[in-house]
Amino acid sequence: MARLGRSATKSQKRSPKRLILGVFIFAAAALVLAQSAPQIRSMFNPVRTTVGDQFGGNEGMNVWAWVTGQAKRERRIKELEAEVRNLSRYKAAAISMAERLEAYEEILNLMGEPPARGVTARVTAENDGPFAQTILANAGRAQGVEPGAVALNEGGLVGRVIQLGEYSSRILLITDFNSRVPVMGEVSGVRAILYGGRDGLGSLTDLPERDAFVEGERILTSAEGGAFPRGLVVGEVRKSGDDWRVKFSMAERDGGYVQMIPPPEIVKPMALPVEEVEPAASPTQGARQ
Amino acid sequence: MSRSSSRPNRSLWSQTGPTPRLLFGAFAIAAIGLLGLTPREFFGFSIAWPYAALWGAVGWGRVGLSVRPMILLIIFGLVQDVTFHAPIGCFVILNLLAYGASAAIADMFDVMNEPLIAILSPILLFSGAFLLLWLMASTLEDHAVRVLPLVASLMTTGLVYAVLNKVFDLGRLPGESVGQAS
Repeated sequence: MARLGRSATKSQKRSPKRLILGVFIFAAAALVLAQSAPQIRSMFNPVRTTVGDQFGGNEGMNVWAWVTGQAKRERRIKELEAEVRNLSRYKAAAISMAERLEAYEEILNLMGEPPARGVTARVTAENDGPFAQTILANAGRAQGVEPGAVALNEGGLVGRVIQLGEYSSRILLITDFNSRVPVMGEVSGVRAILYGGRDGLGSLTDLPERDAFVEGERILTSAEGGAFPRGLVVGEVRKSGDDWRVKFSMAERDGGYVQMIPPPEIVKPMALPVEEVEPAASPTQGARQ
Repeated sequence: MSRSSSRPNRSLWSQTGPTPRLLFGAFAIAAIGLLGLTPREFFGFSIAWPYAALWGAVGWGRVGLSVRPMILLIIFGLVQDVTFHAPIGCFVILNLLAYGASAAIADMFDVMNEPLIAILSPILLFSGAFLLLWLMASTLEDHAVRVLPLVASLMTTGLVYAVLNKVFDLGRLPGESVGQAS
């Protein structure tokens, strides 16, 4: 059975390859360790976004299209479409602002903000690997997706854009252990922080000691922290032992598309001009002069 | 009757050299890996997709170490790192360690002719690789990651390899002539 006692020349011949394998493994391990520093890890982001663009963004990429110049024309069309989309957003905003102005003039009352227009994209890649739970959508900066955009599907909140390419976006799902979403109960109004559990249900932390959720009530985003808009449906809350768990509504109605809306913009408060108070003249001041 | 006619007909695959086999295996890994990136739900059931690069690592390692498979495994590892959003180098380590372990087992035992070793060694290698993946992911993500998807992927990886293992059999080391093969 055993194939021991090989010739010495064979093992000598193999040793450089073993050395090469060892060097490769050592280099990869060093690379992994080096990425514990966020600065070094962020150095690989351009590579990740470029590869993401290739996997998620280019749908009709073929050699024939490249040879005939069709690919270039299609790219130009996509750019123009993105520009039109961008301009149509401004148009919508202008119409909305005009309407608001009219309303102010008529009733002198404040109107609510119009809903932001989003970009709908197809989910082109997803993985259920052991690392961060992410999906790749085939729309990026060129289509008007913004960094930190909020992704939704028919069911509700899906996640947040963590990496933005030219034609693709990587979305960190709310089911991931490392995602944190400030939420509140629709009926109870109890606030908590939601994160992904290992069993497919969401877990809640930072709950108030006295108040409790109502069994089966809907969980919405609370907009605390400013990363998500208020009122997006996240799921339903359930009591599981002593803990409250959240059944994600996005998982129930996953049609393979996501809408990415711009993240809420928190306007920095304007600093008031501080009046400089001149110091009162001391009794000795005049004597010196 | 001539001597050649008495021989059984050799298949096209058995006449193929290690380099075309290596390229064909790499193409299969790339194709299956890319297919795995697409949403994989059928009638509401999610399919656990195999880690195709491990087939290459285990299969190619059975004839011993060589630089070309190592380079291919590094490339596949880097692509996996990007697609799985893992720190760059994780899957490279995994693929290379599986490859090295496969070569080490092949060096010690006759993996081609001993049925027990031929069955046990891939099971051991895949299990070890997935255990290492779980350990790396749990360490780097700062929490114990889910085991069930990994076990499901381990099952599919092992089952598909049981069917397709010939595709990842190089026969002999790339560049080695027929008589030199051990």
